[in-house]
Amino acid sequence: MAYGVAAGHDEHAHHPTGWRRWVNSTNHKDIGTMYIVLALIAALIGGIMSWMIRGELAQPGVTFIDNYQFYNVLVTAHGFIMVFFVVMPALIGGFGNWFVPLMIGAPDMAFPRMNNISLWLTTAGFVLLLIAAFVGAGPGTGWTVYPPLSSATFHPDAAVDFAILSLHVAGAGSILGAINFITTILNMRAPGMTLHRMPLFVWSILVTAFLLLLALPVLAGGLTMLLTDRNFGTTFFEVAGGGDPVLWQHLFWFFGHPEVYIIVLPAFGIISQIVSTFSRKPVFGYLGMAYAMVAIGFVGFIVWAHHMYTTGLGVDTRAYFTLATLIIAVPTGIKIFSWLATMWGGSIELKAPMLYAIGFIFLFVVGGVTGVALANAGIDFAMHDTYYVVAHFHYVMAIAAIFAMFGGYLYWIGKMSGKQYNEPLAKAQFWVFFVGVNVLFFPQHFLGLAGMPRRIPDYPDAFVGWNMVSSVGALITMIGTLMFFYLIWHTFRYGKTAEANPWGEGATTLEWTVPSPAPFHTHEQLPVIGPTGQPRAGSGAVSPAE
Amino acid sequence: MATETQSHPFHMVEPSPWPALATLGAFVLAVGAIIFMHDGPPWIMAGGFLIIFYTAFVWWRDVVRESRSGFHTSVVQHGLRLGVLLFIASEVMFFFAFFWAYFDATIPAISKTAHDVWPPEGVIPFDPWGLPFLNTLILLTSGATVTAAHHAVREGDQKASVFWIGATVALGVLFLGFQMYEYGHAAFGFREGIYPSTFFMATGFHGFHVFVGVVFLAVCFFRARARHFSPEKHVGFEAAAWYWHFVDVVWLFLFVVIYWWGIVGYVGPLV
Amino acid sequence: MVTKRIIIGTLIGAVVAGLAAAGTAVAGEPQPWQMNLMPAQSPVMERVHEFHNLLLVIQVGIVLLVLGLLGYIIFRFNAKRNPVPSRTSHNTLLEVIWTAVPVVILVIIAIPGLRLLYFHDRAHEYDFTVKVTGHQWYWSYTYPDHGDFTFTSIMVPDDELQEGQPRLLAVDNPVVVPVGTNVQILVVSDDVIHAWAVPSLGVKVDATPGRVNERWLHVHEEGTYYGMCSELCGINHAFMPIQLEAVSPEAFEAWVEETREEWASRQNAPGVRVAAGDGGADVR
Ligand code: HEA
Ligand code: HEA
Ligand code: CUA
Ligand SMILES: [Cu+2]
Repeated sequence: MAYGVAAGHDEHAHHPTGWRRWVNSTNHKDIGTMYIVLALIAALIGGIMSWMIRGELAQPGVTFIDNYQFYNVLVTAHGFIMVFFVVMPALIGGFGNWFVPLMIGAPDMAFPRMNNISLWLTTAGFVLLLIAAFVGAGPGTGWTVYPPLSSATFHPDAAVDFAILSLHVAGAGSILGAINFITTILNMRAPGMTLHRMPLFVWSILVTAFLLLLALPVLAGGLTMLLTDRNFGTTFFEVAGGGDPVLWQHLFWFFGHPEVYIIVLPAFGIISQIVSTFSRKPVFGYLGMAYAMVAIGFVGFIVWAHHMYTTGLGVDTRAYFTLATLIIAVPTGIKIFSWLATMWGGSIELKAPMLYAIGFIFLFVVGGVTGVALANAGIDFAMHDTYYVVAHFHYVMAIAAIFAMFGGYLYWIGKMSGKQYNEPLAKAQFWVFFVGVNVLFFPQHFLGLAGMPRRIPDYPDAFVGWNMVSSVGALITMIGTLMFFYLIWHTFRYGKTAEANPWGEGATTLEWTVPSPAPFHTHEQLPVIGPTGQPRAGSGAVSPAE
Repeated sequence: MATETQSHPFHMVEPSPWPALATLGAFVLAVGAIIFMHDGPPWIMAGGFLIIFYTAFVWWRDVVRESRSGFHTSVVQHGLRLGVLLFIASEVMFFFAFFWAYFDATIPAISKTAHDVWPPEGVIPFDPWGLPFLNTLILLTSGATVTAAHHAVREGDQKASVFWIGATVALGVLFLGFQMYEYGHAAFGFREGIYPSTFFMATGFHGFHVFVGVVFLAVCFFRARARHFSPEKHVGFEAAAWYWHFVDVVWLFLFVVIYWWGIVGYVGPLV
Repeated sequence: MVTKRIIIGTLIGAVVAGLAAAGTAVAGEPQPWQMNLMPAQSPVMERVHEFHNLLLVIQVGIVLLVLGLLGYIIFRFNAKRNPVPSRTSHNTLLEVIWTAVPVVILVIIAIPGLRLLYFHDRAHEYDFTVKVTGHQWYWSYTYPDHGDFTFTSIMVPDDELQEGQPRLLAVDNPVVVPVGTNVQILVVSDDVIHAWAVPSLGVKVDATPGRVNERWLHVHEEGTYYGMCSELCGINHAFMPIQLEAVSPEAFEAWVEETREEWASRQNAPGVRVAAGDGGADVR
């Protein structure tokens, strides 16, 4: 098959060099790499903020932050950065960009130029957020930005406006990215790559992209109203003008709950790939796995008010949201047990990515079952806005999702860089991080049950014990994080050359059929996929390295 | 491998400075808007707008050129259409937020603080059967003209397609004119509480979308005149037409929900 | 600087108190190294405990199940022990089981959960009403059924603490209710969103401008019960605690008389004293 393309593009355009290669990039791998770099920088900043938080909370009284507004700004910025500028860019922008085209046998994304603007808008959003933290008194509103605290009356300077526009800009980037992923996946699969043969990571990005596409605009609408309330005298959330602060909470959580699955679904996808690879078995219950994600995505849109049980919703409303929320445990359980079944009977190699995957499965369940407690409106009020919630969501996000990031990074670094990481070092890093985050977040369950509220820079003396333990955990986590950065450096400096497929017969997806590092252009010769999901012999020759 | 042919039907886009430049525009716009809102000068914001308009122009110019040079195979066209539909889906959710705000203020089953009396005391609403109804008719007609244009394009009737697209643009402009006139004669100010907030936000963003649609169709008008569209290949026009239908449907909802249902049970003067 | 002394004290205290958190003397106050919910002092909280105990068993059970399976799998199916992987990727029966069993567990959770929800929503009969108003950064309480008097309740700053008053929990004027009565709590706000919470009594409810939220309270035993503002409300969010005294009905009557008189003369002079607001840019 040859497709006549009139305009000739020259050699040079295929291999742009210098800064133009990056700034003007229309290459999914380069853009993916830039997303990962962005996530690494943001992780360091968001991490430093979290360590400052834990430092302040290590002891009662003023430890070193005597400006409580600043403490609130730290918490706000930490939440935003970790969610919007670490996890989303890394999992979706980074790994999604790199491996969705590779896995479906496409030469690039559907809209390469738009792909680039998604990256840059995300970066601009990050810069705006950092500016927000330093303008005036900063946004001390929490990442939920509830009015009236976030209104012009209580946050008069420009900080909250910067935060709002940060999310607007980054959100626009994510919406465009979502359009790109959906179109790529639906329109650019290689011949024979039917939907039901796609790797689960691709499925996870597909579902995630739909969540982004439908949830983010609602946040954008809410943010717009907040912005005009603050600056142009509308009264959507102003009681004095007939508005309703709780409206914001509905809009925010209508976005916010799907957002948490936006974070964890790509993680699910990565874990499926890793577990299957290192068990040397195909994924168990593939269709169930794929449609469980679809179900989670769907139900994720109708449970938002479980974040609002104490706001004065009617009792029947709360009963509905309780039931709807509980349902999510079923498809999630299907995923957990299917992973276990994938491993069952396998020939498991405990390489570092697999350690992270196993850690993910276990600790996600720990975080999930506390979610099930919170889902019950009848008991949520005992834990709402306490550290129990903080413990819950750090288990599912800061542990599980971050584990998937580490796991995915180690799994794919050979493919991305051509250098393999150092196994003993990676294992050591895993164990330090594993111990650290558990010491860090497990005691927060106790603090929460005992009634310690969130978002406080100082606490009654009875809470000191577990807080100190938690801060020690943060210290260990910090060491684990620094080890990870060292590992990155070590890989690039000393890493052994990676083979096309360093994992052996368990690694069956298409990215392992191309050389490492993956050439600038891949799948220029479309592979033809057979019923097993494997390319047919002779098809999909990789473009010769020029 | 300087190629005249490639072995797959997809479009490998050349590197482009526009995404980064557009982002710079968005950044300047955001910072400028904040400076402006905090009593600063407006021209930083204006500069941001200019950069964005400029990049929008050159970017789409490139797309048109690429299309003219044959990069848009039928597979690529399919992708473009899909992209447009997805974009429209996200726009629907954007309006969803404003309708939610409106229902939150009006339906007690949705919010405890919904108003018992709507419009709230002292607000004199528009008569839906006056200008708003006229605007409804205009938009409905424009839906018909754009469909006529679609048929003309598909039949390869260039003259008719130019005419019908032009007619649609004209109706869109007319709509915007009436909308502006209506805003000028509102009996309530922008800052006067929840009624004008919901009213102006929803209808204002709709008006903005009409404006975008008009620009989009105007571009198609000139492209149709330059014979860019063929019966087989006219994605740009199709996108504009779909967008226009979307804008049309949003208006129907606005008309029914805000203009008409919003004054059911209201007794008093109308504007 | 409170810190060092407290830490050492607490650590020693912890050894003494062990993990059995519920100190007897002050049931309504968190204890060092406490690991579970506050001891129940109201009908709602008793049921919360019951339900939480059920949840805890289920939670621990699921976690242990997954952990056990993982451990077994890693032990039994590692590459050394099991060099040749099986190729099974389907087992309909298993898949049905792990869909159906969670559903059953969820039903077991949902039934008592919903009963608890409806139980704690409102009581059938109220003896009287207390109106709670959140302000940046203190609470005020109004007793509409006892002459409609209002008083403010502000945190005791660190340097004015009396012996036995817990830091960041004690206030100058606690809210007082009689034991054994059903009290209707109406919660409103004056500025931003706050949340009025007393963990040992099983109440937490947002104080949102523009709406009145209702809960009820029934205290079993006399004593002091503490809580903290539970919605981020600005710089001093950490410093607007709730102190509730439950007293005998007679003592309550006496307190009402006294307080009404005292605050009648101080009407329109709300003590807007920012308690622990040392530091922080002035963002109101
Ligand atoms: C990655 C992010 C992520 C994920 C995946 C989840 C998953 C879940 N979350 Fe979580 N959640 C957050 C991030 C996340 N959450 C965040 C950020 C907040 C706080 C926001 C803020 O206020 O700042 C929050 C808060 C939050 C609340 C509000 C608490 C409050 O403020 O009072 C609730 C209440 O229902 C809740 C519930 C759940 C439930 C039921 C799940 C379920 O999806 C979990 C399902 C998983 C399992 C149940 C485990 C595996 C299943 C099995 C092994 C099968 C057998 C199990 C059973 C039968 C139970 N979450
Ligand atoms: C994914 C999200 C995420 C992550 C990773 C974290 C990580 C951490 N968080 Fe997080 N936190 C939130 C999301 C997250 N948090 C949110 C949403 C809130 C609520 C905010 C609010 O109330 O408004 C919150 C609030 C919050 C509080 C409560 C503050 C309060 O209420 O007063 C505390 C306190 O201990 C805390 C501590 C920590 C610590 C010590 C870590 C440590 O684990 C940090 C160490 C981890 C890292 C540094 C990241 C490592 C990652 C990489 C190195 C990137 C790798 C990249 C690739 C592989 C590409 N956080
Ligand atoms: Cu008041 Cu927090
Ligand atoms: Cu949620």
